[in-house]
Amino acid sequence: MPGTAPDLVVCEHCGLAHRWVPLAPRAVARCTRCNGVLARGHRLDVQALLALTLAAAVVFLIAHGSRVITIELAGAVVSTTFPRAILIAWRAGEHGVAVLAGVTAVLAPALFIGIRLYLLLPLALGRVPAGLATCLRLLYQASRWNTVEVLTVAALLSLVRIAALADAAVGPGLLALAALAVMLAALESAGLRHLWWHRS
Amino acid sequence: MSAPGRSQARIPQRAARSAEGSPVNAPATPLPGAGWLGCDCCGLVLSVAHDSEGRHRCPRCGHALYWRKPMSVQRTWAYLIAAAVTYVPANLMPIMSTTQAFRTSDHTLMAGILELWHDGAWGLSIIVFIASIAVPLMKIGALALLAWSVQYAPRWRQLERARVFGLIEAVGHWSMLDVYVVVLLVGMVRFGSVASAQTGPGLLAFAAVVVLTMLAAHSFDARLIWQEPPER
Repeated sequence: MPGTAPDLVVCEHCGLAHRWVPLAPRAVARCTRCNGVLARGHRLDVQALLALTLAAAVVFLIAHGSRVITIELAGAVVSTTFPRAILIAWRAGEHGVAVLAGVTAVLAPALFIGIRLYLLLPLALGRVPAGLATCLRLLYQASRWNTVEVLTVAALLSLVRIAALADAAVGPGLLALAALAVMLAALESAGLRHLWWHRS
Repeated sequence: MSAPGRSQARIPQRAARSAEGSPVNAPATPLPGAGWLGCDCCGLVLSVAHDSEGRHRCPRCGHALYWRKPMSVQRTWAYLIAAAVTYVPANLMPIMSTTQAFRTSDHTLMAGILELWHDGAWGLSIIVFIASIAVPLMKIGALALLAWSVQYAPRWRQLERARVFGLIEAVGHWSMLDVYVVVLLVGMVRFGSVASAQTGPGLLAFAAVVVLTMLAAHSFDARLIWQEPPER
């Protein structure tokens, strides 16, 4: 492409250009000016990334489809999934909070996993998926607003606060949330763009 | 990155050491008066006229690129002022009210933290204090300092300022913690008059603080920290 430099990499934190050199797996290149991460050496190929993403998709469904915490008080048992808790907040009139929680804790990780699956499945079959550019832009926003790790700690905190009031038990959703947080972080650092452009 | 001559051909030390192959050829120099601009989304590097104000499109992925984010400092200030104003009701108004045995009590952010502390959950109360009170306040203060220093102290402690900005971006979303806690509690504690929890008006204000500080961080262009002051 005219006016582009395939042999350069620009620091996304401070904008300084560096010459690109291939990195060994796990190596991290840092910016010479601001010390921010410039590029990582990736070791996962399409198959491994696809496997990890599929696993994350299953864990995501468990995390948001099963109960996070179960409470028992005076003979009544109540349990909730996080999407249901958001729905209750919406019905209580807290629309802004419900949308914010839904976008950051449910929609962003769903897109994060869904887009990766959409891109990786055709690629594993040797095809370039349609709309690659749009997908990467969406993925950029999804990883920016994803907060599953915060939700995990929040669920633990709620457990502690409820335990002072009633009998509370950990549900499978809470364990799945913790696993999902770890898997999303692994996917994030495993990178994706190197599959197409042998870069970053 | 300022002068075109300076902005190229720096091989990062660790990259050079861990390289499997040999470094590729020396990069083409950008056109005179141009500099390299990297796409945040796909990583492509373009040659773009220096200090051009307009929006560029990445030819590979179509992401909008700017030499400097437009009105970066002004937008950061606008979000920061809005966040600082909203911070007051977020802390003074109850974020949640609970009904227990026909008695209703309101909980502000700070009251929830003190409650955890008195229950003996010191570690958790410190985490919540950091996430809910300290992080938003530090973000507002640190971003204000960064936005101020771009204009008035451009060469002051650039590396430290860059690190502070990196930290702000990394910890910013942790302030969502209390929002999720309240959503979960309200969704679960539904035992009618025996025990129930409702959201309070402070919750929306607090959520707004979190979003506004995140938007302030997103609109600040970290490249401004490294910008050479204009020569006269």
